[in-house]
Amino acid sequence: MTRRAIDHTRPVSAVVTVWGLATLVFVLLPLPFIVLYALSRNNYALFSAQGFTLQWFQRFFENDRFMAALQNSLAISAITTVVALAIAAPTAIVAVRHRFPGRDLMMALISAPLLVPGVISGTAALSFVAQTRIGPGFWPITVAMICFTLPLVLRPLVANLSGLDPDLEKAARNLGASPFAAFWRVTMPQLAPGLVAGGTFAFVEAMDNFSIAVFLTNISTTTLPVEAYSYIRDIDDPTVAAMATLLILLSIGVVLAIEWLLGLDRFLDMS
Amino acid sequence: MSRATILLMLPALLVLTLFGVVLASFASVSLMVLDPGSAVFHGPPTLANYTRLLGSEGAWRAVLTTLRLSAEITVLCVLFGYPLARVLARSHSRSLRRVILFCLVATFLSGGVTRAYAWLIILGNQGLINQGLRAVGLPRAALINNEFAVVVSVLNFVLPFFVLTLFGALRTIPEQLEHAARNLGASRLRSFVSVTLPLSLPGLAAATSLCFALSLGAFLFPQMLGGGRVHVLATAIYDRIQASYDIPSAAALAVLFFLLVLLMLAVVGGLRRLVAVRFAGEAA
Repeated sequence: MTRRAIDHTRPVSAVVTVWGLATLVFVLLPLPFIVLYALSRNNYALFSAQGFTLQWFQRFFENDRFMAALQNSLAISAITTVVALAIAAPTAIVAVRHRFPGRDLMMALISAPLLVPGVISGTAALSFVAQTRIGPGFWPITVAMICFTLPLVLRPLVANLSGLDPDLEKAARNLGASPFAAFWRVTMPQLAPGLVAGGTFAFVEAMDNFSIAVFLTNISTTTLPVEAYSYIRDIDDPTVAAMATLLILLSIGVVLAIEWLLGLDRFLDMS
Repeated sequence: MSRATILLMLPALLVLTLFGVVLASFASVSLMVLDPGSAVFHGPPTLANYTRLLGSEGAWRAVLTTLRLSAEITVLCVLFGYPLARVLARSHSRSLRRVILFCLVATFLSGGVTRAYAWLIILGNQGLINQGLRAVGLPRAALINNEFAVVVSVLNFVLPFFVLTLFGALRTIPEQLEHAARNLGASRLRSFVSVTLPLSLPGLAAATSLCFALSLGAFLFPQMLGGGRVHVLATAIYDRIQASYDIPSAAALAVLFFLLVLLMLAVVGGLRRLVAVRFAGEAA
C-alpha cells in the first residue's frame, strides 16, 4: 500500500466542514423567513401572487403600544448601559489591581445573577416590588437590568484591564498627575475596547430581556419583547415580523460597527 | 482593605446587596400563604407550600421534563456545534472564518423573541412546513406545542453561545500537534480522537456547562413554542403567577428550581475539575 502525501492545507475534512456549515445554516434559518414574512401580504403566506408589501412596517410604527414599548426599551437599555459601565469600571479596577482577602469570593458573587434563571430573578423582583409597595414599572425594570447585566459588562472590562501596563499610570503620577487625572487620561483611553464590548452586551441584553421584564411590566409600562409576546398571543399578524426584521437589521449594524471599531476577534477575546 | 478599595467597590456592593435582599425576601415569601381570593400573603412561617409541592405529581414531572430537555439539547449542541467550532478555529480560509463569525455574532445579538417568533412561523400548524406538506397532499405534521418545537428552538438559541465558547478554546490548541500526529501516520480520525479531542476537553466542558445552564433556565421558548403543553420549571413558575397570582407558591417552586440549578452546577463543576485533572494536569 502506498502512503499518500498528507495535505496540511486542508486541516478539516470535507465531512466535518459540510456538517459544520449545515449547523450554521440551522443557526441562521429563522432569520430569512422572518424577513420574508414581514414583507408578505397575508398571514402565514411567505409568497403570494400580489408580491411584497411594507404595510406591516407601517402598522408597527403606527401602533401606539409598540411605539411606547420601543421608547421604554430604548430608554431602559440606554440607562442600563451607562449605569452598568459606570459601576463595572471601578469594580474592574479593584478586581485587577487591588489585593485583599475575600476578593475572589466577591467577584464570584457579582457573577451570581447570571447563574440564576431569569424566571427566578423575575418572580423574586415581582415579589419584592409587591411587598414593598413600589409596584412594577419603568424603574424596577431598569434596576433589575442593571443588576443582571453587571457581570456581563464586568468580564470584558476585567479582560481589557488585565492586559494593560499599570506602570504607564504610575509614570503619569510621577510626572505630577493626580490619581484621577492619571486614570482618566492614561488608562481610560486604553479601556475603550472593553467599554465597547461591555456596553454592547448590556444594551443588547436589556433590549432583548423577556424572562425578568415580563414580571415587572404593567398596563402602562411594557417593553418591546413583552409587548411583542402579548401581540403574538392576541392578534398574530406579521407586524411582529416587521419588528423582528428591524431588530435583525439593528444587530447587523451593531456587528458591522464592532468589526469596524474593534474587529470581531478582539470583541470575542473579551467576552 | 484600603479606603480606595471600599469606595471603588461600593456601587457594585450596593447592587449585590440589593440582589441578595430580593432573593432572601423571596425565599421568606415561600414560607407564607396566600389569602384565598386575594393577592395578599401573610405569615406565620409554614412549610405548607413545600409539602404541597413535594406531594404534587406535576412539580416532579416539571423537574424531570426540565432535566430531560436540557440533556437532549446539550447532547445535540455538542453533536452539531463541535464541527462548526472546529471549522471556525481551523479553516485556512480567512473569509470563511469571518463569514461564520459574522453570522454567529449577528444571530446571537438579534434576540430571543425574534427567533422564537420565526420558529412559530416555520413550525406552526399554518406554518411553512405544513403549507408545504399540504401543497404536496400530505397530512399535517404536529411540529408545534410539543417538546420537539422546544428542543429545536432552544438548540437554535444556544448554539451560537456554545460554538463561540468552544471556538475560544479550540484556537489555543496548536495546529502543529495535529500535523505531527498525521505525519506519524495517524488517520484524520485517529489524530482527532487521540490528540485534539483530549486537548479540547476542558473547553468543551466549559461550553457544555454553559449550554446546559442556558437550557435549564430557558423560559421564552418553552412558553411560546410549548403552547401550554410542555411544562418545564420556568413555565410552571410563570403559570402560578399568571393563573392565580400565587406568589408564595411560585416562590416555593422557584426555591426548589434554584436548589436544582445549584446541584447541577456542583455536579457539572465536579465533572469539569475531573476532566481538567485527567487531561490537562491542572484544575481549570
